[in-house]
Amino acid sequence: MIRKAAMVIALEHIEFDDRIIAANGFISRDLFSISDTKPAFYMIGSMGLASSIGLGIALKDTGRKVFVFDGDGNILMNLGSLTTIGSLKPKNLIHVIFDNSVHESTGSQPTNTNFVSIEKIAKTCNYNHTFTTKTKNDFEKILRKIKKLNGPIMIVVKIQKSNNKKSPRINYEPLEIKERFMLS
Amino acid sequence: MKEDIQRKLFDHLLKNKISNFVGVPDSTMKYFIDQGLKKKKVLITTREEEAIGIAVGMILSQSNSLVFMQNAGFANSISTITSLVQLYQIPMIFLIGWRGFLENDAPEHTKIGKIQPKLLQALSLQSMVLDEKSWKKSCDWALKLIRDGKSCALIIPRQFVD
Repeated sequence: MIRKAAMVIALEHIEFDDRIIAANGFISRDLFSISDTKPAFYMIGSMGLASSIGLGIALKDTGRKVFVFDGDGNILMNLGSLTTIGSLKPKNLIHVIFDNSVHESTGSQPTNTNFVSIEKIAKTCNYNHTFTTKTKNDFEKILRKIKKLNGPIMIVVKIQKSNNKKSPRINYEPLEIKERFMLS
Repeated sequence: MKEDIQRKLFDHLLKNKISNFVGVPDSTMKYFIDQGLKKKKVLITTREEEAIGIAVGMILSQSNSLVFMQNAGFANSISTITSLVQLYQIPMIFLIGWRGFLENDAPEHTKIGKIQPKLLQALSLQSMVLDEKSWKKSCDWALKLIRDGKSCALIIPRQFVD
């Protein structure tokens, strides 16, 4: 499964009223190229902060589910955020890590998830439910299951590299991204 | 800054609809933070960039937020300020403790304390230094800026050595 295929599955289980925060790099670009009908907060810079922005939204917009689309390189830059999330325990936060064990956006240099499990770290940080999946069927089952569960939830989706099929850059100005998101 | 002024500073910002105070502690403003902890409005994070990320999320959900930090943390935050707060034009107040303000402060603060005004200027981040007489006026200046959709910084100089 490549990231785009995993995202298509995830989007089938995300309601229109839910929130999506997409980490910078190919994560935002892939999401944007699949579907932009529901305005997501597409990050352009500030690598590592998707989980923190998602936490801020989850704490204030408690009536809506907040999906963070994160990457392995991204979350490794902000592991401290897992302790903050696990301490505050927002019920509406679903943290999806698309884990290809490389920094794909910068030329596929390896990350430490080749050796260390992010799921185990999240579990130790008091996430209520954690999962790791490698297959489409299993990912779908998890997405159905979590509808009845309280967050914080982490789903690590092990994906393959996308083999140079680059999604285009987001053609909204940052200010437009913010305003569309805030109005949605 | 004296204890009673720090507590008043917190109360004034809270009264003016700053709902969240997110950051990494600094002893320069320990009474300010203590006042917020008592009122359950403070969230302590692991790093300053994390604090900015959380505050951005809160602001995107229409809840006004301030981020506090020491100037060492301000140095950590530069890329987050340029590529998140300024890029997306997020109205946010930074409250920054100015270590290295006194020449005899601890040595690790000397360099950053010296270049701090230049860093703020290079970032085009508007700022005012708080003092015990005009702190309220400076706060109101910052509150007006965020109402106009801009970010800015309030600076608390470290006027003692421990």
